[in-house]
Amino acid sequence: MNASQLQREAASRAMKMARAAGMEKSMAQAMGAAGVSAPNVAGGDGRFFSSTKKGETQEIRLELQAASKDKKINAVKKVIANMTVGKDVSALFPDVLNCIQTGNIELKKLVYLYLVNHAKTHPDLALLAVNTFVRDAADPNPLVRALAIRTMGCIRVERITEYLCEPLERALKDEDPYVRKTAAVCVAKLHDISPDLVKDRGFLDLLRDLVADANPTVVANAVAALSEIADEDKGSDDVMGMSSAKLQKLLAALNECTEWGQVSILDALAKYVPEEAKDAERIIERVMPRLQHANSAVVLSAIKVILQYMHEALDPESELCVGYRKKLSPPLVTMVNTAEPELCYVALRNVNLIVQRDQRILENEIKIFFCRYNDPLYVKLEKLEIMIRLVSDRTVDQVLLELKEYSQEVDVDFVRTAIKAVGRVAVKLENAAQRCVNVLLELIKARVPYVVQAAVVVVANIFRRYPNRYESIIGALCENLESLDEPEAKEAMIWIVGEYADSIENADELLSGFLEDFRESEHAVRLQLLTACVKLFLKSPQRGEAQQMVQSVLSMSTECTDDPDLRDRGYIYWRLLSNDPEAAKAIVLGPKPPVEDDTAKLDEATLDLLLSQIGTLASVYHKPPEAFVNEKTLKEEEEEETYDDFDDAPADDEEPAPAPQGGGGDLLDLLDMGPVAAAVPEPPKSGGDALVADALGDIFGGDPVVPPSQPSGDIFGGDLMAPSQNDPFGGSALFGANTPPPAPAPLRKPVSVLQPSQQSGGVGIAAAFNAGEQRTIALDLEVSNAGPQPVRLLQIQLNKSPFGLAPADAPSLQFDPPLLPGTTRPKRVRLRAGDAKMLSQVPAMTAGAGVNVQIALKNADTGAVFYLAAPCPLDAVFAADATVDRSAFIARWKAIDDANESYATVADLPTGPSIDAAVAKLAARRCHPVARRAVPGQVGSEVAYFSVQLLGPEAEYLVELTFKSGVAACKVCVKTTARSLAPLGLAAICALLRAP
Amino acid sequence: MLSQFFVLSPRGDTIISKDYRGDSPPGAAEAFFRRCREERSCPPCFRINDVTYVWVKQHGLMFVCNTRFNASPSTIIELLNRLVKVFKDYCGVLSEEAIRKNFILIYELLDEIVDFGYPQGTSTENLKACIYNEPLLVDAQKLRVPSLSTKTVSSSAVHKPIGSRKTGTIGGGAARNEIFVDILERLTMLFAANGSVVNSTIDGCIQMKSYLAGNPELRLALNEDLVVGKGGPYGTVVLDDCNFHECVRLDDFEAQRLLSFVPPEGEFVVLNYRTAGDFRAPFRVLPQIEEATPYQLEIIVLVRSEIPDTNYGSDVTITVPCPRNCTAASATAPSGSSADYNATQRKLTFHVKKFQGGLELAFRAKITLSSICTAQTRKEIGPVSMTFEIPMYNVSNLQVKYLRIAEASQNYNPYRWVRYVTRSSSYVCRCR
Repeated sequence: MNASQLQREAASRAMKMARAAGMEKSMAQAMGAAGVSAPNVAGGDGRFFSSTKKGETQEIRLELQAASKDKKINAVKKVIANMTVGKDVSALFPDVLNCIQTGNIELKKLVYLYLVNHAKTHPDLALLAVNTFVRDAADPNPLVRALAIRTMGCIRVERITEYLCEPLERALKDEDPYVRKTAAVCVAKLHDISPDLVKDRGFLDLLRDLVADANPTVVANAVAALSEIADEDKGSDDVMGMSSAKLQKLLAALNECTEWGQVSILDALAKYVPEEAKDAERIIERVMPRLQHANSAVVLSAIKVILQYMHEALDPESELCVGYRKKLSPPLVTMVNTAEPELCYVALRNVNLIVQRDQRILENEIKIFFCRYNDPLYVKLEKLEIMIRLVSDRTVDQVLLELKEYSQEVDVDFVRTAIKAVGRVAVKLENAAQRCVNVLLELIKARVPYVVQAAVVVVANIFRRYPNRYESIIGALCENLESLDEPEAKEAMIWIVGEYADSIENADELLSGFLEDFRESEHAVRLQLLTACVKLFLKSPQRGEAQQMVQSVLSMSTECTDDPDLRDRGYIYWRLLSNDPEAAKAIVLGPKPPVEDDTAKLDEATLDLLLSQIGTLASVYHKPPEAFVNEKTLKEEEEEETYDDFDDAPADDEEPAPAPQGGGGDLLDLLDMGPVAAAVPEPPKSGGDALVADALGDIFGGDPVVPPSQPSGDIFGGDLMAPSQNDPFGGSALFGANTPPPAPAPLRKPVSVLQPSQQSGGVGIAAAFNAGEQRTIALDLEVSNAGPQPVRLLQIQLNKSPFGLAPADAPSLQFDPPLLPGTTRPKRVRLRAGDAKMLSQVPAMTAGAGVNVQIALKNADTGAVFYLAAPCPLDAVFAADATVDRSAFIARWKAIDDANESYATVADLPTGPSIDAAVAKLAARRCHPVARRAVPGQVGSEVAYFSVQLLGPEAEYLVELTFKSGVAACKVCVKTTARSLAPLGLAAICALLRAP
Repeated sequence: MLSQFFVLSPRGDTIISKDYRGDSPPGAAEAFFRRCREERSCPPCFRINDVTYVWVKQHGLMFVCNTRFNASPSTIIELLNRLVKVFKDYCGVLSEEAIRKNFILIYELLDEIVDFGYPQGTSTENLKACIYNEPLLVDAQKLRVPSLSTKTVSSSAVHKPIGSRKTGTIGGGAARNEIFVDILERLTMLFAANGSVVNSTIDGCIQMKSYLAGNPELRLALNEDLVVGKGGPYGTVVLDDCNFHECVRLDDFEAQRLLSFVPPEGEFVVLNYRTAGDFRAPFRVLPQIEEATPYQLEIIVLVRSEIPDTNYGSDVTITVPCPRNCTAASATAPSGSSADYNATQRKLTFHVKKFQGGLELAFRAKITLSSICTAQTRKEIGPVSMTFEIPMYNVSNLQVKYLRIAEASQNYNPYRWVRYVTRSSSYVCRCR
């Protein structure tokens, strides 16, 4: 089909439409006329009736057909005005199109504007304009030629692109630079619609030729277009085709082109690293003057080039680089000092990265990061962050003075952050710790409740960093007990009292004060209180009420509560104390994992990556581009299956749901979460978690459970996983497993996986995977509502997981009656397991802890969508009903090649040397015991065989456990037909055996 | 690589919406506005799903861009600021009404300025060659433009749109051959309670708006004793850093402190500079707090102006935050000034319309407390902040020695309006 045919076809369709519309119009006119005649009699106001919508369209149509150019222009303007307010003016398409054949550029531009907007919705109609475009692309006026090329590229209709190629090819070689620069961008447009066409028609080569163009703007646009194509096409190599000759051209163009072009060229330069140090020096010299540019985007891109070359091609310690560094400081200071807070914010986020590589650049400029009273909060928080990074023994006095000043401002959020900053300075600089403590002491004495609470949390951290050094301030803290109402602060205070129970005279009174409200207290506070009472008892058992207190707290924790964590911990303490008080002492009062300086840097690789992205969004978010740039286009995304019930696009797979976006609370804070979790404000419960982890550290004494100290590996998942991985109880059974089979294992207790946050609308989730009935898996949820609205309906959806889990029933959680604010309710979702092909990709070491299953929830009332990840242990998908008889088992055992066997040894079985207990434990977890026998020839050795089947896929594990009597250890052998799944099964069985 | 551009009204209505790449989700403007509303201090760039929004607020309107790429946020912010400037150049003033009236012109501009998300050129002058729509004027008088103090504005000419390509006339043919030069300095100062300076910075610029016919090349000479970089000899004008507009040629800058350039049309910044060096604070502030009775405090703020007595500070406002337990305040203002106490914000404000140089004024107020005054109560007073504007004075001493037209043969003599203005950016004195 050729062009003219195509056009005719489209034209006839449009004409039909127009005719249909026109008939309506004429009827409307007729009716209007009748209307006019009737009220005429009545009083002559009838003309108002004719100004109905249809009448207006007709009026415009007549004007469009007018001979006068001005009238036409006005008419098209009216059409566009209607278009922008959302009225449907597509009926006028043929009439507007008629105006396209004009020599008047103003009119032409208006028509093009209309066309671009309507092409999306009426692709067929857009084809009508093709001929005009092609003709205009050969117009003698370069403005018209460029206009045609530009507009054609904007009409994102695939069939138009066929007609675009030829004129575009001509335009790329046009004599006028305005046309060439427009054509260069148009190649990028074409690539976006149809990348193959760009390659097949050789546009890339033409574009590369333009990089050597005489006109700087053309060069800049060609570079920009090539960069975009290179980013999109990761597969093809070196789209840019950089060479030393081209480099010269770029550097020459850099001086001539517009500021926007300079940014494109500098960004391209940063990606290319010269091989010779000499070349790098030469380029840096040429780039250096850009640091004086008024446009901060140019300056940032220039800084990126210089830093990149210094790092990649030069010796950073050479004298040359020292000189370069000196020159980087003034422009950075200028950007931070700018009057526009928006630019200041971007500069600060970048400075934050730069000083992590090299503090020397700004070490003398700490003053510029002092907050101005009229800075917006987002700027102030960034400045604080950099102050803490830059602070040294030399500047600490100045900084502390500032921080003290900030902690008396009115903005509560800022005040809290400032107080936390004091604590972070103390942890960072040992020499200044005493001064920081003094500042905190002063703040505490001011007795402003929120200040005191923030300070208490900070003090707890300082105590952990410098044990037994600053007890003197405990007295001041104790005076403020009654003002503590935030759980975080209470927790911190209780921890301090417990930790220093022997040096606080009235520790028992203080704790008993807290104990009065035990039942009403928050989960974390109760846990902390339990631990503190035990510490008190261990440290000074003879003290007055200590014994009575510990008894009452233990009984409250174990008997009068439905909080599983609390109960479990209570039982542990109880047993420890009753069996072996000395051991209890060693465990509970054992050494704790150290708290470290949390201004610790990003790991080198990430930092390198981010520094190569200076000036881009990656440097503002402190995340690698892959984390937020989705390769998929919008269209593909709509077709995406995952989460397709929700109206917005899925967040990045590893995105932690509760992480607040922007506001400084992003990646950096997550990274900081590591060692000094408590010092970092977000997420709100983190302080508690750290203390809980600490308490766990107490329990396990020698083998402390430390929060992931370097979560750099999984930057985005680390935060969310941390609490659940750290919980060694995993909500599993402490007792009950001792009873002989067939008692099923107690259900895993839901562990918190989503803290209530603004994003989730206050909904908090605890989740655990258990075995369900009838070959299903149960997802046990505890849904809490901390938001202001009752929750009625949550829709649930699971992301693709290795087990192929999917809801078995309707994917929703109905709350009837609604879940009122402040309440919590358990819910169970039945899941089916699907194909487990992906299981083989799961690294075996994670199998014990479970595989993270990502879940999306949507609140049907508010439309809020939030994401969480819950660990699903492999044994949750063990089939409950599969039993195998002995002979079949033996046959299968023999059928599997020995090469498919894998072994491991589990020592220190929690079940002790009892074989019965171990077998019962596995049996409770749906490993079906098949046989048990003594090993012939080896006295005291016994083997037990189990069969394990998975719910979803056709996979089976045959397990052999070898015990030696009196030894609390066993050898595990796992056989399976699918060899790739073997390590996973082995890990899961071992984890089950090890589980308490 | 921006995807869409919006102009939103303060109520969240989309006034202008331009899609460059067709890859944004529907309802992006609404999603943006909702997020802006929800967050107390919304940073200039943030992300909703995979779409990043970058925005600035100017003249009460929100100018927003979004992108799905790892674009450069400073490019976008600079571009947004530049768009605002270009719109202002074309429409004369920038307001919701002006944009609504000229929306076709705005769309035409947007088409030329950005192509497929890449900024092409923001020079008002170059744009003129391809813009065909004429601006429709809105009545500038009706709008109180919150620009420089009305007193120091030399004429309403700065609110004229630039000439269009067809007529070639400038500003509708009224005044011509004018050039406005502003040396504008914003001060950040922080005093300790004893009056010593803790922190001080000048953030200055030389702004120009040219209406010169024929657009000749200009020469602008600055002080010869100007030193750029740290540590000049005493008495010289030291700038820590400065940067220039791209049209400026710096061939003679090192030797003669001479800038030569062909001014682009419309408003532009010739030079930005910054210095944190020693300079004389235009106003010294000394707050004192005295306990009259346990339930009453007297606050005295002594302000001395250290500028020459030929100059004055206009619209000087002094704000003193009062403690939480403050129930009432009565202030006595010296003659020529007024005092006010805002009970809800607990803020004491003194206002002086014209603060003559060399003058020392004492602002007194008695505040009544609901509970006994403690050390904490005293701590809650302050910091004292000041806002002001000093016409025809600049703190850095940077001066325009002359502004000449390069070709001497041209015998026309344009009107040159040179203004110096010093403004407070953050001028604060701590009370303890």
